[in-house]
Amino acid sequence: MSAYLVAIGTFVGIYALLALGLNVQWGFTGLVNLGHVGFFAMGAYSTALLTVHGAPFALGLAAAIVMSACLGAFVAMTTLRLKEDFLTIVTLGFSEIFRLFLINEDWLTRGANGITGIPRPWRSFFSQGYELFYLCLISAVVLIVYLILERIRRSPYGRVLRAIREDDEIASVAGKNVFRFKVQAFTLGAAIAGLAGFLYAHYITYVSPDTFVPALTIYVWVALIAGGSGNNRGAILGAFVLMGFLEGARFVKDFIPFLTDVRLAAAREIIVGLALILLMFYKQEGLLPEERSKSLV
Amino acid sequence: MLLSLLQFFFNGLISGGILALPAIGFSLLYKILRFPNFAFGSYLTCGAYAALFVNETLGQPILLAFVAAMATTALIGVAVDQGAFRRLRRRRPLTLAIVSIGASFILENTVRFIWGGGLQHYRLPVYRDITLGGIHMGKEQITILGIASFFMVLVQALLQRTRLGKAMRALADNPQLAEIKGIDTERIILLTSGIGGALAGASGVFLGVDTVIDPLMGFNLILSVFAGAILGGIGSAKGAMAGALVIGLAEEISLIVLPSTYKSALGLGIIILILILRPSGFVRN
Repeated sequence: MSAYLVAIGTFVGIYALLALGLNVQWGFTGLVNLGHVGFFAMGAYSTALLTVHGAPFALGLAAAIVMSACLGAFVAMTTLRLKEDFLTIVTLGFSEIFRLFLINEDWLTRGANGITGIPRPWRSFFSQGYELFYLCLISAVVLIVYLILERIRRSPYGRVLRAIREDDEIASVAGKNVFRFKVQAFTLGAAIAGLAGFLYAHYITYVSPDTFVPALTIYVWVALIAGGSGNNRGAILGAFVLMGFLEGARFVKDFIPFLTDVRLAAAREIIVGLALILLMFYKQEGLLPEERSKSLV
Repeated sequence: MLLSLLQFFFNGLISGGILALPAIGFSLLYKILRFPNFAFGSYLTCGAYAALFVNETLGQPILLAFVAAMATTALIGVAVDQGAFRRLRRRRPLTLAIVSIGASFILENTVRFIWGGGLQHYRLPVYRDITLGGIHMGKEQITILGIASFFMVLVQALLQRTRLGKAMRALADNPQLAEIKGIDTERIILLTSGIGGALAGASGVFLGVDTVIDPLMGFNLILSVFAGAILGGIGSAKGAMAGALVIGLAEEISLIVLPSTYKSALGLGIIILILILRPSGFVRN
């Protein structure tokens, strides 16, 4: 049981990072991103490809963050001038193209088989309790990212991002280079997703294109909206709520004997879909709504 | 080489025909409601499985199954609109797009819950392929093309010649003006949702007849449908038909040089290029 809780905790940490990244884009700045999973995949694959060939973890980490950031900057620069409705299609499309790339270019990515045997950092120091160590590592990373993002949120820079979210024309009239801020915020969010990808790849020790489907992006949206978009603590809380949804279905299995694994997985997705719709109906501000800064006037 | 090119061209025509019907429905609804409905792919899937139920479980002929599928997905289209979208009419496009993905999760996984994740086939009478000038054509494929063309003409006639069609076009053109002129917006949205659902369901059966039935079939097609609709200019039925045909042809002909897994990436690539170069599409009414 405690091994199970440690594993769940680790996934909460990974979802928390993904939700924090999306929060910079959507929560702070109001940027649409239905392709978040693409940046997560970029991070996971970047480090996997390097470290299975013996590169040091530090290099894998740097590559995961830098490559996802570059992909984020590229997507932002090519698409952010589009209207919101088109952005939903294009960002989701980008992540799908990237997944198809991972499946097809097997000379680089080993295709649909994925990459196995990804090493785990500092594994040899532990005869037991490694999983618990990894949970602590992830929690520490989440804490650090949270503190950095809180700092950004409270800074004048964060205020500009919020101003862009509320009305980018006014921000632009006020002399802010709106496009540059948007690209920076999108890039930062993508880099955090890449960091999550790094932690995921070295935890699971295996990556394959099957993991990085659009549904994962939607899970992160559920987490962020449930927790409270615009609020970093909300993003982290949302990751817990999401895992509650996802794992809760597992316990239902004990009560309903006819539930096969396929049906269980289907029921899980139905619950997530329902939760998403109900959240949008009744609780769009989330469990921990964003604190509105006090007006100066 | 020329012969194989012709074969690819014929296959592209079939793909285009399959894409065209949902592209029309998607495009009209997008124009009226101003958000991309990601649940369209799952309407397709639901149509294919509804027909499977009638054809396989009830043992009825495929044509009857086809009609039943269209009726089912018309109802699903209306139910999703009334149950999920109606409360959110004035919310921003992102909210509605996300809700439509939520609806699509529910529909697709209901199918998976009932029928499982495996590949399935209809019970069809077996015909020998026709070979005309060296091109292989299945009898089913020719039927698909025929029925798809029939519905395209029907939709076009509906839009151009009936009061309902006029009201639909007016609403798509300028919702405020249409409302002032006394058009019952909610009624038109309801009917358009139903028609869009029915068209998507029809296409799901086509796809199931032409290839296989599986829970992801609709999702795998959705980006090509979007590409066709956007290429044709959102809100134009004629444009969506032409756009879907171009996407279908481009995807099949691309198989000469690209591996087949990149097929749906091609549609996406085209979407991104169009949106960046010409956000309003290529066809003008």
